Amino acid sequence: MYYKFSGFTQKLTGSAPATAYNPQGLRASLPAESPTMIFATPTKVVSEAGATAEYMGANKVPDLQKLFQTSDGTPVHLKRGYPDRLLYRTTMALTIGGVAYCLVALYIAAQPNRK
Amino acid sequence: MAHQVHAYHMVDPSPWPLTGAVGALLLTSGLAIWMHFHDMTLLALGLILLLLTMYQWWRDIIREGTFQGHHTPPVQKGLRYGMILFITSEVFFFLGFFWAFYHASLAPTPELGGCWPPTGITPLDPFEVPLLNTAVLLASGVTVTWAHHSIMEGHRKEAIQSLALTILLGFYFTFLQAMEYYEAPFTIADGVYGSTFFVATGFHGLHVIIGSTFLAICLLRQVLYHFTSDHHFGFEAAAWYWHFVDVVWLFLYISIYWWGS
Repeated sequence: MYYKFSGFTQKLTGSAPATAYNPQGLRASLPAESPTMIFATPTKVVSEAGATAEYMGANKVPDLQKLFQTSDGTPVHLKRGYPDRLLYRTTMALTIGGVAYCLVALYIAAQPNRK
Repeated sequence: MAHQVHAYHMVDPSPWPLTGAVGALLLTSGLAIWMHFHDMTLLALGLILLLLTMYQWWRDIIREGTFQGHHTPPVQKGLRYGMILFITSEVFFFLGFFWAFYHASLAPTPELGGCWPPTGITPLDPFEVPLLNTAVLLASGVTVTWAHHSIMEGHRKEAIQSLALTILLGFYFTFLQAMEYYEAPFTIADGVYGSTFFVATGFHGLHVIIGSTFLAICLLRQVLYHFTSDHHFGFEAAAWYWHFVDVVWLFLYISIYWWGS
């Protein structure tokens, strides 16, 4: 029985006779000792990891801050331009229309019941 | 652009108080019209207007605070006072329904059989689904506190996960309560027992839905990086509201479900 030193298990294991003619120590590809085992890398804090993959999207707040702080005199509810204007006008239309509809409905409701 | 020499927030002119007031007008008159003429148009219009107002008003507050930096420490203090006062008003709201329950149950009238629960009422077993509901809400109180600490320590992923778990627990409570409502052997029309039970637990359930929605908005804002580790009042307000909802449930459970069975 011929033996060789297994670099993987760090124990003697059986081997073929041919290995006796090719000593391990002389072969560059097979190291006599296994590399030091690493059980865990220390967890990286996000701030140290730098610009790595973001969790659920990138931070757009600084851009939005710049957008909303432009001194163009527009009030905050219209600051984003077209989508804000659309929503505002729809809401105002419903408001004014609603008041009119309400007054008519209450006027009708106030009429005495004619059977 | 003139710069202010004080730390307070002079708000831009806004149309939302007007649209909100009109929304309230349409809701109330719509309710009257629906009751007399069976027409839901005005009611629906009021509801839509109210939702539009809430969306735009609160969107603007987020813009003013997170994007324009108007929420300085004195302004934040005012917002805190505001939220505390609002929750206090809600406490008084529930106090009324607890008063009604105790008025009816401490001295049950002869019409009820002189006993509580009244004759003919089979109350729900407090140690079945109601106990599970209690555990669910208490657990959600833990997860929301975990979320708060995660935000304060800058742990983005943990904050998102714990906040999402809180919301899921809220939905689970609502689902369980809906099942209980469906399976209950008594209805709101079953005398004063039914009235006090369903009005008190019903308004509580509505507040759970409101609280869950508030937390869901906070989850969206957390994902969008709105909260920083030392400025996240929107989340704190949602957490206060959630704890309030939890405490109201505990009182409901002890009084109506347990003592009242």
